[in-house]
Amino acid sequence: MQLEKNNQFINSVKSYVKDFDDASYRILASKDFKNWPKPSEETWRLSKLKNLSKKYIEPIHPDLRKNKSLEPKINSSIFINFIDGAYREDLSSKLPFGINLSYLNEEEGLDFLSKIKNTDLANHPSTSSSISCCPSIIKISLDADFNFDETVEINYSGGNDFKSVHPVLFIKLNKNSKLSLVERFQHLGPLIMPLQLIEINESASLKSIKIFEDSDNSYNLCANLVTLYNKSIYNSFSLIKGSEFTRSETHAHLKGEEAVLNLNGVYLSGSNQHHDLTTAIYHDVPNCTSKQIVRGVLGGKSTGVFQGKVRVAPGAQKTDGQQMSRAILLSDKASANAKPELEIYADDVICAHGATVGELDDDQLFYLKSRGISLEKAREILINAFLEDIIVQSVEKNLHGFIFDEAKQGLVSIIKSNVLK
Amino acid sequence: MSLLEIKNARLKIENKEILKGISLSVNAGEVHAIMGPNGSGKSTMSYMLAGRDGYELDTGDVLLDGKSIIDMTADERARQGMFLAFQYPVELPGVGGISFLREAVNSRRRHIGEKELDHLTFVKEARKAASSMFVKDEMLKRSVNVGFSGGEKKRFEILQMAMLKPSVSILDETDSGLDVDALKIVSEGVNSQRNENNAIIVITHYQRLLDYIVPDYVHILSDGMIIKSGGPSLALEIEKNGYAGIINAA
Repeated sequence: MQLEKNNQFINSVKSYVKDFDDASYRILASKDFKNWPKPSEETWRLSKLKNLSKKYIEPIHPDLRKNKSLEPKINSSIFINFIDGAYREDLSSKLPFGINLSYLNEEEGLDFLSKIKNTDLANHPSTSSSISCCPSIIKISLDADFNFDETVEINYSGGNDFKSVHPVLFIKLNKNSKLSLVERFQHLGPLIMPLQLIEINESASLKSIKIFEDSDNSYNLCANLVTLYNKSIYNSFSLIKGSEFTRSETHAHLKGEEAVLNLNGVYLSGSNQHHDLTTAIYHDVPNCTSKQIVRGVLGGKSTGVFQGKVRVAPGAQKTDGQQMSRAILLSDKASANAKPELEIYADDVICAHGATVGELDDDQLFYLKSRGISLEKAREILINAFLEDIIVQSVEKNLHGFIFDEAKQGLVSIIKSNVLK
Repeated sequence: MSLLEIKNARLKIENKEILKGISLSVNAGEVHAIMGPNGSGKSTMSYMLAGRDGYELDTGDVLLDGKSIIDMTADERARQGMFLAFQYPVELPGVGGISFLREAVNSRRRHIGEKELDHLTFVKEARKAASSMFVKDEMLKRSVNVGFSGGEKKRFEILQMAMLKPSVSILDETDSGLDVDALKIVSEGVNSQRNENNAIIVITHYQRLLDYIVPDYVHILSDGMIIKSGGPSLALEIEKNGYAGIINAA
C-alpha cells in the first residue's frame, strides 16, 4: 500500500529500485517502517529504535508549493534548499560555473546503488528506505580543478506529522577541486532519513559541516558513505543538538594513498535526547591518515553515543588512525557511551584510541568561583573552553564564530537546567 | 570592628577534626602570618575561608566586615571581597587570560554597583597591572596557567589580586616553588597592594617569605589550633629552633 503511494512520486527512481535486488529495503518500505534494526544488532545496541517503531509514519509526498524556506545563516552567496526532502530550484541560488546540480538518470541511479550495495552501509535503514522513498537523487559535482572559495550552504527543512523525509544526495568532487559545505537539518516531522554518497577524487578537498537541529520529536537517521582517492582530503565536523534522536553514521573508505580524513563531531544533549555519532573507517590502502575527535556535553536524562570503528586492511602499511572521545556529564541521570573498535590486519601502523567520561573538574570550578564568577557562568566558561578546542581544530577560521554561536545556543538550556554542585 | 573575624572555627573532614577551634581577628591595614608544620590545617583553613565545597564549618563563625559569610558560596564570598591566592593555581585550558580576568573583575564590579568595563578599557587596565607584576602581555593571551612556570603562575595570582582589589587576601604558600628572584617580584607585588583598607593573611612554612612581606602578627598553627601568637620575631624563632620546641612547650 505504501509502495503504491510512493510510486506516485518516485517514478524516476522506481525503475532502478527494482534492479537493486536487496530484500531489506523492500521489507522496510512495505511494512510502514516497522522493521527497524533490533538491539541485538551490535551497531544498534547502544541506540535503540524502540520508540520509533511505535510511531505511525509514512513517506512524505513533497509539497512543491511549500514556500517556507530557511534563510542563509552564513554570508554565502550559494544557498540550496531542500524541502520535504525535495530539491527546490525555485528557492535555491543559481550555481556558478564549475558546480553542477542534476537529477540522477536511471543509469546513474544504478551506478549510485551499486556503489552502496557492497558496503556495510547497505544495511543501514536509511539506505534502503530513502532510495525507495526519495523524490529524486540529486547530484552536486565540482569540475576538475575548480576551487570554489565561498561556502555553499544546504538547508533541509519541511516535514509533517506522521511523515518521513528522504533527501538523497550524491556529492562528487572531481580531481583537484575544492569545496566548503555547510548543511543544516531543521525538519519538523517525526523521521528524517538523509542519505549521502560522497566521492572525493584525486587531490580534491571537501570541508563539510553538518548541523543537526531537527525538532524535538524528530528522529534523524543520517547515513553517509564517503570514498577518498589519492591525496584527497575530507574534513568533516558534525554538530548534533536538536531532535529526540539523531544518529549520524558515516562510513569512509580510504581507497587512494595519502588521503587524509578528519571526522570530528560534537553532541550537545539535554532532557531525553539521544545523540549518536557512529563511524566506520576503512583504510584499504597504505599511507593514509584518519583522525576522529568527538566531544559531548550531556544534561538531563540524555544519552550520548560514539562508536568508531577503524579497519586497517592487510597491506595498508603506514596507516595513522587516531580516535579520541570525551564527554562531560552535567547531570547524574545522563549517560555517555563510547565504543572504539580497531581491526588491524597490517603490522606497520600507528593506531590509537581513547575515551573519557566525567563531570566538570572540581578544582577548575572552585578556582573560577573563588574569583567571584557564579557557578552557572563558571560551568559555561569551562564547557565553552572544552568545545572551543575542538571547533578550532575542526572548522575553518571564518566559520569559528558561526559554529560557536550555534553550539552556545544548544548549551544554554542544558547548562541552566542542570545544577550539579 | 575587625575586617575579618574567625570565631572558634571547628571543621571535620571525613570524621576527622582538622580545625579544632580557631579564633583570629584581623584588622584593616594588618598583615598576619600563619605558620605551621605539614598537616597542621593551614590549607584547610584557607579553603574554609574561601568557601570551598566540603570545607563547611561544623561550629563557629567567620565574619567579613562584620557580616557572617559561612552560608555564602565561594563566588559570593569573592564578590564580597575575599581572595585566595592558590598554592597550586589551577590550569584552565581553553580559557583565555584576558577573558577570565574580565569576567572576574566584572563580577565584582556588578556586585558593588560599579559599571562593567568594556573590552578595550579592560585590556588597557589589565596590561597596566600586568606590567607592574612583570606579567608579559603574551601570558594574558594564553590559557590561564597553562604552560606557565611556577613563578609565572604565582605572579598571575597576584595580578588577579591587584585587579580584584579584595578586602581580605589569603596567600596560601605563595612562596612554594619560587626562586629568590621570583619571590622578590611576587612579594613586591603584594606589598604594593597593602593599604589601610585591606588585610592580608600569609600562610607559609618558612620565614623566608616574611623577610619580604613583613607581617604585623605571626600565629603558629599546630594540629588544628593556634598555639602561639606574637610579632615578627616569632617567625625568626621558628627559623632558628624549628616548630618542635614551640609545639612541645604548648
